[in-house]
Amino acid sequence: MKSFVDNWGMFLLMKDFMKLLGGAKGLKAFMQHENYRLAVAVQSALECGANCRRPPNDVVSLLFRIARHKGILKESYGGAECRVEQVPEPNAPPPHVMEEYFQMIDEVVIDKMCEYVMKPPTGVVSEEEALAYYQALMSAPFYVAFRKAVYDRLAKLYRYRRILDIGAGTQDPLDMLDVCQQHGSECELAALEVDPRICNDLEKLATKRGFEVVCGWGRVSGRYDIAVVQNVLHWTTNPLQVLLDARRRADRLFVSQGVIEGAGIGFVLVKILYANQPLSWKEVEAFTKQAGWRLARRYAKYPNYLALFK
Amino acid sequence: MSLTTRLRCPICGADTSVAITPELLRQASEKGVARLLVRCPRGHAIVVTIDQYGYVRSALPVHEAGRQDCEVTDKAPTSVRARLIAILEKGAVTDADALLLEKAKAAGWVICI
Repeated sequence: MKSFVDNWGMFLLMKDFMKLLGGAKGLKAFMQHENYRLAVAVQSALECGANCRRPPNDVVSLLFRIARHKGILKESYGGAECRVEQVPEPNAPPPHVMEEYFQMIDEVVIDKMCEYVMKPPTGVVSEEEALAYYQALMSAPFYVAFRKAVYDRLAKLYRYRRILDIGAGTQDPLDMLDVCQQHGSECELAALEVDPRICNDLEKLATKRGFEVVCGWGRVSGRYDIAVVQNVLHWTTNPLQVLLDARRRADRLFVSQGVIEGAGIGFVLVKILYANQPLSWKEVEAFTKQAGWRLARRYAKYPNYLALFK
Repeated sequence: MSLTTRLRCPICGADTSVAITPELLRQASEKGVARLLVRCPRGHAIVVTIDQYGYVRSALPVHEAGRQDCEVTDKAPTSVRARLIAILEKGAVTDADALLLEKAKAAGWVICI
């Protein structure tokens, strides 16, 4: 019951998402595959010599942190030993729409786990490969459906005229425009990016799709009706600064952020693709309030923190 | 002694058998998964990924994409291979596809002449 009260917005989103996953059975299979792969990855890291008390780097540390949260990695003998809870391999295959995601987890996380344990993780997946994986992940049908559901059902972006998409990436602006178009709304979208490589990609899309690209905070001009922060805070080294900058430029803020509570192995994947550490929902809310935003409505605390601020 | 498992060719749907040898299971046990190349009765090449229990995780076609004189290389990961092949065969239908193709070329997953 508490979980429902805390996360009713997630349940609302799930209506759309469940259809895509193939109903309750699909959702169950998805969660089983997530936990199974998490357990396999942890087992693999330990077998390759990782110390669960002192992980060799941020990637393995995050893997262990998530596994502890899920109760898959447990400590015994006063923390002297770590053991992995046995998670049976699911009988049902993953939902069709998630097959690519799980294959990516297998290839990028599990198959290379020994390498992450034994050498600096930045050398394992090259920058070019990371960008290609990132693009594949961002444009995967399940993720597109999730974002569109957030923008349509919760953020209701079609109600606003001037929208600032902070840390836009290459796929977010396209999804936002689709939602606006579905409702016949003429959104004026500005996609803000600080990564020059993504900015270049955005500029190619912008001419075709009719949105503005802003490369760096210094180039933001005017004021926006709403700023959107969609899974951005775990990519930045200074989340508070992002929220402070948003405060100066927009009247409202919609935050959609995957958090450590209930996080799955997908966070390890994006960490390998050069993201930073995930935050807890309390940290996200505290940073947002510290930046001067007032909570107007919270839709969910975890696994995705979803809230509107004024 | 080896076990045999069956799958459908992702190109033509023909029933194809795969021998799961102890060597493959050992490899899968060490690395998480093992891959092998098999041919269906009609000659289509398929990359099969199995896990340590002999369960087939994926079976993806290996074929050259004629369009634009591009092909998906061996470096391309299994997870994205099917999507890249579809993009090369049908053309980049969406902006996201075009961008993925561009990134795949930069990563060496697709080469074009």
